[in-house]
Amino acid sequence: MIKKILIIGLLAGVGLIFFNLLQVYHVPTELNNKLGAYYAENAATQVGAANIISAIVVTYRGFDTLGEVTILFLAASIISFVLKVRKEDIVSDRFTSPNSEILIYSSQIIVPVIFLVGIYIFINGHLTPGGGFQGGAVIASGVLLMMLANPSMKVSHNLVAFVESISGIAFVVLGVLGLVLAGGFLDNRFLPLGEFGTMLSAGALPLIYIFIGLKVGAELSNIIGTISYNQNEKNS
Amino acid sequence: MVTPIYIVAVILGLAFLLGILKSSMTRLGSILMIGGLVFITFVSGQWLYEFLVNHRATDIIYTAGFLPPYAINLQMGLNEAILTTMINIVGLLGGIYLLDSLKKTGINSMAIFIVFVMSLNVIVMTRDIFNLFVFLEISSIATGGLILLDNKRKAFQAGMKYIIATGIISNFLLIGIIFSYYFASSLNIDGLIAANLMSIKGGAIALFTIYVSIILELKPFPANGWGIDVYTASNPGISALISAGSATAALFVAYKLMPMGGSFWLPYFAIIGAITFIGSNLMGTRQENPNRLLGYSSIGQVGLILMIIGLSPYLGKDTLLIGFSILISHYAAKAGLFWLSGIIKSKNIQGWSALRKHPYLLFLFGTFIFALIGFPPFPSFFGKWNLIMALAAHGQYAWMTAILAGSFTEAIYLFKWLGYSIKLEVPEDITIKFEWNKYLPIYLMGILLYFMGMYLAPFTEGGVYINFLPLAFVFLLFALDFLPVYVKNTLSIAGIIWYMVRLFPLLEHDLMREIFAGIFLGGAVLTLVAGYAKKGKRPGFYPMALLMFSGLVGLIEANTLLEFFFSWELMTAGSYFLIIRGKRSMPHGYSYMLFSIGGAYAILFGLALAYASGLNISLAALGHITQLTTLAYTLLAVGFMTKTASLGLHIWLPGAHGEAESDVSPMVSAILLKAGVFGLMLLFFYMGTGTPGSEKLLYVLGWVGALTALSGNLGAVFQEDAKRLLAYSSIGQLGYILFSITMMTQLGWLAGFTYTINHFMFKAILFLVIGGIVVKLGTHNMYEMGGMIKKMPYSFVAVLISIIVIGGIPPLSGFAGKWLLYNAVIQKGWYFQGVVVFFAGVIAFLYLFKLIHSVFLGQLKDNHRNMKEISAWILIPSYILIIGIMVFSAFPQWVLKPIGNMLTVYFPKSLYWQGTRAFTSLGYWDGTTTMIVVVTAFTLLLGWLVIASKKVKRIGQFNIVYAAERPYRPETTHVSYNIYAGYKKALGFLVTPVVETFWENVSDMVLDFSGWLRRIYSGNMQNYALHVVLFIVVFYLIALGGL
Amino acid sequence: MGYIIIITGFLLVLIGLWGILSQKNLIKIILGFTIFDTGINVVMVSIGYVKGKTAPILDIISAKDALKSVVDPVPQALVLTSIVIGLGVSALMLVYAIKLHHDKKSLDINNFKDLKW
Repeated sequence: MIKKILIIGLLAGVGLIFFNLLQVYHVPTELNNKLGAYYAENAATQVGAANIISAIVVTYRGFDTLGEVTILFLAASIISFVLKVRKEDIVSDRFTSPNSEILIYSSQIIVPVIFLVGIYIFINGHLTPGGGFQGGAVIASGVLLMMLANPSMKVSHNLVAFVESISGIAFVVLGVLGLVLAGGFLDNRFLPLGEFGTMLSAGALPLIYIFIGLKVGAELSNIIGTISYNQNEKNS
Repeated sequence: MVTPIYIVAVILGLAFLLGILKSSMTRLGSILMIGGLVFITFVSGQWLYEFLVNHRATDIIYTAGFLPPYAINLQMGLNEAILTTMINIVGLLGGIYLLDSLKKTGINSMAIFIVFVMSLNVIVMTRDIFNLFVFLEISSIATGGLILLDNKRKAFQAGMKYIIATGIISNFLLIGIIFSYYFASSLNIDGLIAANLMSIKGGAIALFTIYVSIILELKPFPANGWGIDVYTASNPGISALISAGSATAALFVAYKLMPMGGSFWLPYFAIIGAITFIGSNLMGTRQENPNRLLGYSSIGQVGLILMIIGLSPYLGKDTLLIGFSILISHYAAKAGLFWLSGIIKSKNIQGWSALRKHPYLLFLFGTFIFALIGFPPFPSFFGKWNLIMALAAHGQYAWMTAILAGSFTEAIYLFKWLGYSIKLEVPEDITIKFEWNKYLPIYLMGILLYFMGMYLAPFTEGGVYINFLPLAFVFLLFALDFLPVYVKNTLSIAGIIWYMVRLFPLLEHDLMREIFAGIFLGGAVLTLVAGYAKKGKRPGFYPMALLMFSGLVGLIEANTLLEFFFSWELMTAGSYFLIIRGKRSMPHGYSYMLFSIGGAYAILFGLALAYASGLNISLAALGHITQLTTLAYTLLAVGFMTKTASLGLHIWLPGAHGEAESDVSPMVSAILLKAGVFGLMLLFFYMGTGTPGSEKLLYVLGWVGALTALSGNLGAVFQEDAKRLLAYSSIGQLGYILFSITMMTQLGWLAGFTYTINHFMFKAILFLVIGGIVVKLGTHNMYEMGGMIKKMPYSFVAVLISIIVIGGIPPLSGFAGKWLLYNAVIQKGWYFQGVVVFFAGVIAFLYLFKLIHSVFLGQLKDNHRNMKEISAWILIPSYILIIGIMVFSAFPQWVLKPIGNMLTVYFPKSLYWQGTRAFTSLGYWDGTTTMIVVVTAFTLLLGWLVIASKKVKRIGQFNIVYAAERPYRPETTHVSYNIYAGYKKALGFLVTPVVETFWENVSDMVLDFSGWLRRIYSGNMQNYALHVVLFIVVFYLIALGGL
Repeated sequence: MGYIIIITGFLLVLIGLWGILSQKNLIKIILGFTIFDTGINVVMVSIGYVKGKTAPILDIISAKDALKSVVDPVPQALVLTSIVIGLGVSALMLVYAIKLHHDKKSLDINNFKDLKW
């Protein structure tokens, strides 16, 4: 009880911080933040991407994005070594209640569509809302659906690892190409910017986003797969 | 030049590549991992070289081809180069150390490992605050993974705690970042600094959330339970990396974000740092798990460095140097200690005595401990010195006190631990396997500490004068430790004699220094001679003895405050190791060390006040203290008195001297104690009598001296242990010395010098001879001895002459001391104190009689019938000293006249010489004539006795009538057992161990408090999350509550 | 509108913190975290909000008019990163929870106090 009161008191304290922040916050009517305004004005011409956010994410702050990808990579790696299950600990005949037919059959129709949408999202990341992370997540959701429909399905670890690694390396290589051929690490302008608003525009940006998409999709699938596989471990 | 961006590119490329490898290809994986780590170490090292050697300008690395603030930029300057090199080295060595574990866990863990090291690099280099956040997250997620390396059950709990806490922290950081962006339109750190957030309404809150998160990342006390569990539960190799690597990076973050908030936040940094430093170390005092203990220590050290950052306005341009000095010591020592812990695999610190079988590892362990505490020649010594001096120069006494208090609490547990590892029985269940990949990193860190100490010394004011030559000799002896005793002994003696020959002309007839140099080095030679009696190798003895003597000689040579303190600490370190060598010396070595460190900090404080008074580093600054003058002199005096074992500070001495090895006792008693006397004399010389407050101080110290003399002698009277009796006698004698010199008259000082010289000679003889007898008879108890006069006649004569000197009986020089002392007392008018001292002198006879009677006279014990004389190697130095006593007694004017002349510069002349005759206003004394008269009378008497004895009936030594005792069960019937029971009834109340009880209570209180305090670490992760939020709220209310 | 979003964000943060600090079940704590994260993300997005402006994607808006017609793109870019990081952290926490449950057959947070003092 005392603890509850303490917690409430603490939340009130945190609330006070937020309240004080709210007092100085006001909703602007113009984009007057200098940094934001700079991107709004120049992203299109400098980077060539219609989606300004993508321009920021992949180019201006591409270094952050590399870090982001690394975080997913770390999470996937940690999970796969933590949940590593020895073969002899696997229970092959784990009881699972049979899935409904609707789930099984509709998934066969929907999964390819989901994959397609995912790919569409990351290929068009520089033009429309979306991008590599979103596309990758959509793809992984497709994998998840497959797994729900067929719990005994195994994600091919080798394939996933291969896609993941190759796309990760490609991302780094593209970054280094930016350094060597253009203005700096992760500069997208070593490829022509192309015509604004078309598929083949914004230099290397779409390429990077494709690799990010593949990598994220592979990593998330990997995580899901590892967790699912771990369910088969014998209860010791 | 390889641009640092390749650190990121190559490591990430490798990490992703490792993902493809099959799980069986661990060999290739480890080659790739080590290769990557070598590469990044090369990159950062190459930049470091450029900055240090070619003085290259700071380099900015732009990403994405746009300038900041539009794109993220990294910075590579001298600071960044140093820190990334440090991180990469510990990463590389840690990778080598962990190879087995990483291989076992699989290739994924290798990828995580290198990404972790890389993220720390970026944290150091990045100049974009959001990017900083991203890489902080990378490092904490990687940490969360690496904790699990051994898949231990507890590690999952620690990991969960860690992730929950860092999760809360990083979300608050995000709030700070986004609002900083909102207020200042920039994510670039330089942009945010330029925007001056504090001047913007609400900017302070944004800054607060950033700062509180960064501080929480540093695991401030008490919101750090989650951090300590990580240190406890993970593989020590990972803990090493977290402690040395992550902490380094996180500290630099605090440093580089500091300018954003300006001076408003700095005091909070300092306060939180101080609380963490003291609190964390206090917790450590009750800790027995080595990894957890190291965790507390790590957090404490980080607190200290945070404090330094917070105190930067006072430290000015030295901030970086000071911070770096302490950081590098912490870095190398902590990495080394964690790695050692990984080798020893003991669950409690007692198990570290397994190191006793591995002297080189034990040596490294000692190195790390001393480096953490801040002993010379390690970088932290210079760091702490500069820190304290700079703070004193700005009058920041409270901060100085906090730092010294924290350091002291740290010493409490570190030296307990070191003592355990040196003295406890080697545990049977712990075996240390040799694995090159685990040994190499530890060795390299040890070497780094010595190297950095030498490298950083000249950056400190006065540091260029430090003489490393004696230290080099110590190292040589350590390297030659495998040789037999007689070789090392000869080498040591030769070295010391060579140094003496070189030193004396340099002293330029500075008589006081010459006398003490004679005592220190001459004494060193004589006591070392006795070492020829030892057989075997005596591992570790010679380096440590020589370390102590290098410290002592350094005191003589010191011209600056820094050199003096440097030598003082060396001497302390060396003597600690000598004392703790005794069989039962663990607790005594420990209390010696604690008193010494406490004393050293008092001295440091005093020296700092002296420095601050005129910003003058030379030793002469002691003569011109204007800052808190009285306090400064008091602190210095108290500091020196811990070494002279004055009343109240004496409890370490009886055990330390009594239990030491037979030739160590004279070293630490006859010689080492004189270092305190030297310090006091130096101090009083500089202080003079005119200084404000000095009159009162001297008066109080005079009483302390008198009472010390009394209580020391009383303590000796009731001792049954021969060596402890001598030890108590030392306390008493040092009391006389303190008493004499506090009178601040020529006579008083002459008495002081006489007592000093006498005590050196007779105490060396007594400890040598009695020590030899104790070893020979195999007991310390005097009631188990007796009748040795016929077995050991030479020893008897030596002891007899010594006690005549102590007793102050003419014709020997002890009388000269007494005569001078009482003249001085009467002249000064300190009658009451004089009575106490006189009373003490009477009591001295009691214990002297007891000593000589129970050891040499009385009945020979049955089991001692076949005893022979003690080794000639012990008798030779003793008889050389007896010659010294005789010469000093017969011709005191040879020594006392020049001293008297020297003293006339300071004090009015009151002793005149006429030939061999010394005059004062009260009378005269003639040493030479007295000697002639007494010797003649003695010879005549002896002749008569010899002639007369022919008619005497001889009684055998076993005649009960003669001896009045039974040869068996000597403890009840030995004539001198409890011989002074009657006096004990009358005076026993004076020896009740009031002082011991007092110090015991102090220590119990500290430990109880620590035990109570650490209950907050309940182990519940939710509570830890609560602590984090509580910390945020409380900090907010205190700092910005009014907003 | 902007105020409602940011206040919602702050409230979500407080709700999430309540969950973290008061719930005994590990899974609920982790859920508390995701709510906490979401709250932070909402606050971040709302910082970039400009009254009456649209998403910073130049499909119908021409590049010249961009400045006048879009909200601040920076917080949106940051929030993307923040979401991904939150995802990684949550995944990790869940895995820890799995292992802890495996170890003690319990998700009660009071059962994991092996390390203390």
